[in-house]
Amino acid sequence: MPLQRPVLWVHEEALGPRNPALLAWPQAPALFVFDSAWISSAHISRKRIGFLYESALALPVSLRKGDVAAEVMAFAKCHTADGVVSSRPVDPRLQRIANSIRRQWPIVLLEPDAFVNPPRPPRLGRFSRYWRDAESVVWEGFTSNAS
Amino acid sequence: MDAPLTQLPAPPPLNWAVAEDDLPREFPNRDEFAQDLEQLFPQTEGGLSPLRGGRDAAERQLERMNAKCYGRSRNHLDGAVTQLSPYIRHGVLSLAEVREAVFDQLRQHRQQREDGATLIKELGWRDFWQRIWTGLGDQINNNQEELNTGHDPNSYGRNVPDDIRTGRTGLACMDRFQADLVETGWLHNHARLWLAAYVVHWRRVHWKAGADWFLEHLLDGDPASNHLSWQWVASSFSHKPYFFNRENLERYSKGRFCTDCPSAGCCPFEGSYAQLETQLFAPPAAIGDTGGTHGRERGATFARPSAAAARPKR
Ligand SMILES: Cc1cc2nc3c(=O)[nH]c(=O)nc-3n(C[C@H](O)[C@H](O)[C@H](O)COP(=O)(O)OP(=O)(O)OC[C@H]3O[C@@H](n4cnc5c(N)ncnc54)[C@H](O)[C@@H]3O)c2cc1C
Repeated sequence: MPLQRPVLWVHEEALGPRNPALLAWPQAPALFVFDSAWISSAHISRKRIGFLYESALALPVSLRKGDVAAEVMAFAKCHTADGVVSSRPVDPRLQRIANSIRRQWPIVLLEPDAFVNPPRPPRLGRFSRYWRDAESVVWEGFTSNAS
Repeated sequence: MDAPLTQLPAPPPLNWAVAEDDLPREFPNRDEFAQDLEQLFPQTEGGLSPLRGGRDAAERQLERMNAKCYGRSRNHLDGAVTQLSPYIRHGVLSLAEVREAVFDQLRQHRQQREDGATLIKELGWRDFWQRIWTGLGDQINNNQEELNTGHDPNSYGRNVPDDIRTGRTGLACMDRFQADLVETGWLHNHARLWLAAYVVHWRRVHWKAGADWFLEHLLDGDPASNHLSWQWVASSFSHKPYFFNRENLERYSKGRFCTDCPSAGCCPFEGSYAQLETQLFAPPAAIGDTGGTHGRERGATFARPSAAAARPKR
C-alpha cells in the first residue's frame, strides 16, 4: 500500500532541495539526525558537523542527535506516521540504518537525481571504460549556442 | 544582498511542532552557533570552517564556477577549481544540477562542448567512485590489489605520525596542507595527492591511517572518493605508486613553499623521478611501466602516474 502519512528521513547524502523525498512530500514532517556513534568512532571534527548543520538549517527539517534509526522511528511514532520516506543512500552505513528502520516500519527509498543514465549500466573496471559508456549520454542534454 | 558574514540565513519554518529534544534551529550569529556546537557536540574538536554549509553558500560558489578556465588551470593550486565538493558530497547541490550549470554557462558564453569537457569529466569521476562504492560497499576499506611498492605490507605504520597531524614536519608545503586541512576542511586535489604520497611513501604509513585522518577533517569527506584515491596513491588500486618530486610541486604551487622552507637544502622531494623511485621503493618492485597512465614529467624516462594529470586514472 502506498504511504499516506509518512515522515521523511533526510540524511548526509541529500541535504539539498533536489532531495527526492522532499520533492515528493513537501509538507511531510522531516528529520535529520546527527549519528553520534559515527561522529565519535570516526573522530569527526566540529567543522564537519558545522557544515552539515548549516546545510540542514537551510531545509525544513527537525534536527536531532543520537541513534539515527531510533530517532527516526520515534519521530515517525510521534507524528503517527504510516512509514518513512528517504532518498536511496550509497553509503553502507546509511543503508544499514535504512535496514534497521525497515525491520519495524515501512520505508520507501526514492532515487536521487542521476548524473547520467546510460541505456545499459556502464562498465566500471576502469574510469576510461566507464567514461566511454557515459560521456556521450552526459552530453545529450547539451546543444551549443556558439555560432 | 548577502547577509553580513556573521549572520546565519533564517531557516525555513516547520509546519509541525518542535519537540523537546530537537536541536536548536535559530542562532543569533555564526559565533554563537560555533559556541553552541561545542556544547551540543562535546566529543568533537576544533572550530568552524570559513567555508559555509547550506544552499545559499552553495549557489554563491556555483556562480563563481568558470568551466573554460577550469580546463586550463585545474592542476595549479591557484587554478580555477570550483570548491563545490562539500556541497556535491552532501547533496546540497546534485551532480546533475552542476552538470546543468556547466551547460548553461557554455550556452550563455557561446562556448563549445570542448570548453566544458574537463569539468564535466571531473564530475564523472565523482559519479564513477559512487558507482564503484555501490558495488563494493565496505570492501573499499580493504586493499583492492596487492601493493606494488616492493615493501612488506606490514612495514607500513598504522598511525599518522604526530608531526604530520600537528603540522610540524618542517616541510613548508606539507605543514601548509595540514593547516588547510584542519582549519578549512578543504584541499586542492594536487595538495591531497602530494600529502597522501608523502604520508604513504616517504613516511611509510598505511594508506588507511591517512585516509581516516582526511575523513576527520574534509568537509567533502567521502569514503569512496577518499579511500579509493588513497589506494590509488598507495598502489593498491593502480598498477604503480603515485609519487612526485620537488620540481613538480614547485611548478604547480608557483614556488610558494620552497623559497622560505626551513628544509630547503635537505628537501626529501629533491631529485629526479628515477632517483626518488630507487629511494622510495624496494627492488624488485613491480613498479615498472605496466601501461595505464603515462608520466608527463620532463626528464622522466619511465611511465609514472602523472602528477600533471593529477588524479587517478585506471
Ligand atoms: C587522497 C585524495 C583524497 C580525496 N578525498 C576526497 C573526498 O573525500 N571527497 C571528495 O569529494 N573528493 C575527494 N578527492 C577528489 C578531489 O581531490 C576533490 O573532489 C576535489 O579536489 C574537490 O575540489 P573541487 O570541488 O574544487 O574540485 P573540482 O576540481 O572543481 O571538481 C569539480 C567536482 O568534481 C568532483 N571531482 C573532481 N575530481 C574528483 C576526483 N578525483 N574524485 C572524485 N570527485 C572528483 C568533485 O565533486 C568536485 O567538487 C580526493 C582526492 C585525493 C587525491
